[in-house]
Amino acid sequence: MSTKDHWSARVRRVAIGAVLYLGAVALGLGSAWWVLKKSPWLNPSVEVGAWSTNLQAGSQDAGLYTRATIAVNALLALGRDETMYFVATRDDAGHALRSQCNYRITGVPPQARWWSVTAYADDLFLFDAPNGHYSLNGSTAKLDAAGAFALTTGPNEQSGVYWLPTPGHRGLTLTLRLYNPSPALQAAPQSLVAPAIQRIGDCV
Amino acid sequence: MKNFSDHQRLWFYRVLTLTVTAVLAHLLAVWAAPRVIMQVLMHGPAAQKMNMHNQASFPDPVSAKSRTVVMPSPDMLYSVCAYDLRQGPVRVSAAPALPNYWSVALYAANSDNFFVRNDRQAQGRPVDLWLVAPGGDPQQKPPPPGAEVVVSPSSTGFLLMRVLTTDYQAEKDRVEPARRTLQCSQG
Repeated sequence: MSTKDHWSARVRRVAIGAVLYLGAVALGLGSAWWVLKKSPWLNPSVEVGAWSTNLQAGSQDAGLYTRATIAVNALLALGRDETMYFVATRDDAGHALRSQCNYRITGVPPQARWWSVTAYADDLFLFDAPNGHYSLNGSTAKLDAAGAFALTTGPNEQSGVYWLPTPGHRGLTLTLRLYNPSPALQAAPQSLVAPAIQRIGDCV
Repeated sequence: MKNFSDHQRLWFYRVLTLTVTAVLAHLLAVWAAPRVIMQVLMHGPAAQKMNMHNQASFPDPVSAKSRTVVMPSPDMLYSVCAYDLRQGPVRVSAAPALPNYWSVALYAANSDNFFVRNDRQAQGRPVDLWLVAPGGDPQQKPPPPGAEVVVSPSSTGFLLMRVLTTDYQAEKDRVEPARRTLQCSQG
C-alpha cells in the first residue's frame, strides 16, 4: 500500500469513527428527550380515570428521571402536601385530547382547600383564549343541585356551560390542581373522584 | 477474541464504545436537564430583563403571553427572586396579609422544592427568612432577630411566591400590594 493510500484509508477510518460517535451522542440525547417527554411510565405515578399524578413531583426524594421530567414538563411544581397536580392528555374513551374537539368535563369539587382545571396547549403554555378564560376553579365554578361542576373546552362555546376556548389544531393537556389537598387524598391519590372528560360531537 | 479477524475486532470495540457513549450521553442529558433549565430560568434573557438577582421582581399577571415557565397557573399572581448565597446570606421577607391562599416556595439549583411556607402555616405572621448556603455563612453574620434560618441545598436557587387571585381586575387593589411585600436582598 502506498503512503497516499495509507493516509486515505486512515482519514476514512477517522471520518467513519467521528460520524459514528456523533450518531451515538445524538442517540443518547434523543432518547433522553423522548424519555422525558413521552415516557411517563418511568415515573412513579397514579392514574385515576383519564388523570394521572406524579407522586414525587416537587419532592427532594425525586429520582433522576422524575426530577428531569418535572423540570421539563412542570417546572417549579410543589410537593404533594402543598399541591397535587393531576394531568390528562386523553378523554375517558382513551382518545388523545385535541384542541379542535369539544369536550365536556364534569365532576365534584375535590377534597382540597382550593382547586382549578386549566387547559394547556401541547407546548404546555396557555391557549390564546379570546374570552380570557384559562381555567375553571373553586371560586368561579357554579355547582348544580347535585353539587357538581361542569365546563367545556374546544373551539365552540356550548350554551350555558363555562367555556375554555382552545383555538387551533394541536394537542390539549388538562391540569387539575389541588391546593392544600386533604391528608386522605395525599395518602391515597387514587381516591380522587376523577372528573369525567367526554367528547361532544365531531371535531372541527 | 482469538478466532476473530482484525476487522471483526475493530467493529466489536466500535459497537461497545458507541453503546457506552450513547448511554453516557443519555444519562448526562437527563441529569443536566433540570440544572440547565434552572440556570436559564435564573440567569437567562428573561431573568436579566426582570432584574431579579437577589431582589424581588414582579412578573405580569399570567396570560397566553406568559411563556417563560411551562404550565403557568392563570389563578396565581407571582413574585420571584433568583437568590445567590455565594457572597453571604439573603434575607427574604413577605407579609401578604390576605385571607386566601398564598405561599413562598424555595427551589434549589437542581429544581427541587426544599421549602414552602403558606398562609395557613404563617398564621397571620409575616414570612421572615435568613437564607444561608449549604456550608453556612463564611462571615458568620448573626441572623436578624426573629428571622428563621433556612439552609439552601445549593448556593444559588429560585424563590417563587404565589398569591391566589381568581379575578385579577376586581382584586388588583388588594393582591398587587400584597405580592409586592416580598423583599429579597443580600443580608
